Amino acid sequence: MFRKVLIANRGEIACRIAATLREMGIRPVAVCSEADRGARHTRVADEVAILGPAEARASYLNIEALIRAARAAGAQAIHPGYGFLAEHAGFAAAVEDAGLIFIGPTPEQTRTMGDKRAARALAGGVGVPVVPGAEGDDADALAAAAKKIRYPVLLKPALGGGGKGMAVVGDEAALREGLEGARRLALSGFGDASVYLEKRLEHARHIEIQVAGDGQGNVLHLFERECSLQRRHQKVMEESPSCAVDAPLRERLCGAAVAIARAVKYRGVGTVEFLLGPDGKFYFLEMNTRLQVEHPVTEWVTGVDLVRLQVEIAAEGRLPLDPSALAARGHAVEARVYAEDAARGFLPQAGRALRVRWPESPFVRVDAGIESGDEVPVHYDPILAKVIAYGPTRERALGRLAQALDESMVHGVITNLPFLRALARSPDVARGRFDTEWIEREFLDGFAALAGAPVPEMVLAAAALAEELGANGASHARDGKVTAAEDPFVTAGRWRHPGLS
Amino acid sequence: MRSAWLDGGRLRTVDVTPMGGGRYRLTVDDVTLELEAQPMGEGSLRLVTTDGAVVAQVTAAGARRFVRLGHLDFTVERTVASGRGGSGSGHAGGLESPMPGVVTRVMVAAGDTVKKGQPLVAIEAMKMEHLLRAPHDGRVKKLRAKAGEMVGGGVPLVEMDAG
Repeated sequence: MFRKVLIANRGEIACRIAATLREMGIRPVAVCSEADRGARHTRVADEVAILGPAEARASYLNIEALIRAARAAGAQAIHPGYGFLAEHAGFAAAVEDAGLIFIGPTPEQTRTMGDKRAARALAGGVGVPVVPGAEGDDADALAAAAKKIRYPVLLKPALGGGGKGMAVVGDEAALREGLEGARRLALSGFGDASVYLEKRLEHARHIEIQVAGDGQGNVLHLFERECSLQRRHQKVMEESPSCAVDAPLRERLCGAAVAIARAVKYRGVGTVEFLLGPDGKFYFLEMNTRLQVEHPVTEWVTGVDLVRLQVEIAAEGRLPLDPSALAARGHAVEARVYAEDAARGFLPQAGRALRVRWPESPFVRVDAGIESGDEVPVHYDPILAKVIAYGPTRERALGRLAQALDESMVHGVITNLPFLRALARSPDVARGRFDTEWIEREFLDGFAALAGAPVPEMVLAAAALAEELGANGASHARDGKVTAAEDPFVTAGRWRHPGLS
Repeated sequence: MRSAWLDGGRLRTVDVTPMGGGRYRLTVDDVTLELEAQPMGEGSLRLVTTDGAVVAQVTAAGARRFVRLGHLDFTVERTVASGRGGSGSGHAGGLESPMPGVVTRVMVAAGDTVKKGQPLVAIEAMKMEHLLRAPHDGRVKKLRAKAGEMVGGGVPLVEMDAG
């Protein structure tokens, strides 16, 4: 087993990986950019290497600096996390060339699955249906293909993933205008400007299957995740199991996912994503050859630590699990806390998170990248934390999630917490009635009206009194402890915020 | 003491009159409240009215105040009581940077004639690209954006002639 592993990432996922490494007796080595000096992910590691300036290209995407740091620290392996270089075949190859172990698939597998065009061909080859689409860098050819499969279509980075850098285009003019921006985002996000397009399926759900393979053709699955609650193709709330998947469908989805992973003798953990149409037909979307943001919901229902599984596969070259012993129990739901102003078009926010409090209760897990006093830089993905709740039933899990979100507090940087709280309490979410466009189609307007309502008089009274009394808390304390609040609705009366009762 | 606050686009005022013994009369716009304020440290205030009590947590970040009442969070902004928005939001016709980020493209030059909806400047932050578009037909008067430059949120980047 490894003695030291370098985590080539930042934020909540770097912290989460470090926790499992420690539990396994492996010393975590952190890396950071100059903008992230002192960030939480550097505090939970044994040592820290500074990679370079704030821009991702000079730091977290800087392959040479990462390998130099791993060598200098004496690490035997590198865990890429998600995003950044996690699905960059050149990075995986460079790590191996340096005599280190890459905790993930082979460069060849990353390249095949990372190229969404090759992955689609592969899925088709093992009899799994794919969403109609087209590829190429020629705007005229793409426009012709889009016309053929009919608008609206999605523009996606060919080497992308996780919904990043995607754009919906409704007609040819928008396609031509959006192409340059899409290429630029593809380049800055994934290091390659190629894009491809895909038909946008309506009223579809996003269902994905967690798989793991030993690299020799043995592949197992860890059931599905339901990730249809999305805003602009970014997942905001995920759960396992999915209430849209019954046992026969689960068997077919898991079978398709395993067939795809087996076809490349997949090594490590990965996720095969599908779109599930309202007619019950499903289509292969892409395979993510890495740990997913939403992996905790699978961990909770299966009891399997997916980071440990990754590390064990990388170190021992075998699957440490018996697939017949795997079962999913209960229900887990995750909400992603982003530094975004949900009341103002979800604009990304940055600044110092002056006071941060996360819930502490049984059946609630928080994977956080920040604590009180931490800086949220403008340069990276705005995810701050994930709040995950478990219950024996979906209803209990959702109720616990809503409670946990109520108890979460971030002051200093505006977050999407009010949005997540409203979402967790939405009747449609409770009934499981949603698809990948439901938030934008049916939820956002109501939320915007709520968020745009005048604040209750008591809020302004409190702000003015705090100033009068010099009681503005700007605590930089890192313990995040804030006195527990009493129930405001004892006195709500005229100050009750419309719709939030 | 009178203070002025921005609540979204609304200007709101609060008058605070101390009445002794930790008691205050507050007039928020045209609503009058009487309450007792008990500072609890760490930016927490226990506010007691005849109806009951509520704990408020207020955090100042520049002019911005993060206010938590129970488990609800609100954000307001301290401003000067001049009767108009302190940060000037809105009156530049949406030609301010909507978020802190990096200017990736400047697609026009000062003096250019532009059509309504034409993209002028692109800003990228956290892997999202945002296009500033011309709010109306007109001429670009001044351009304060340079490609590659980092800008804060709410900074005017383009000035246009009135349509």
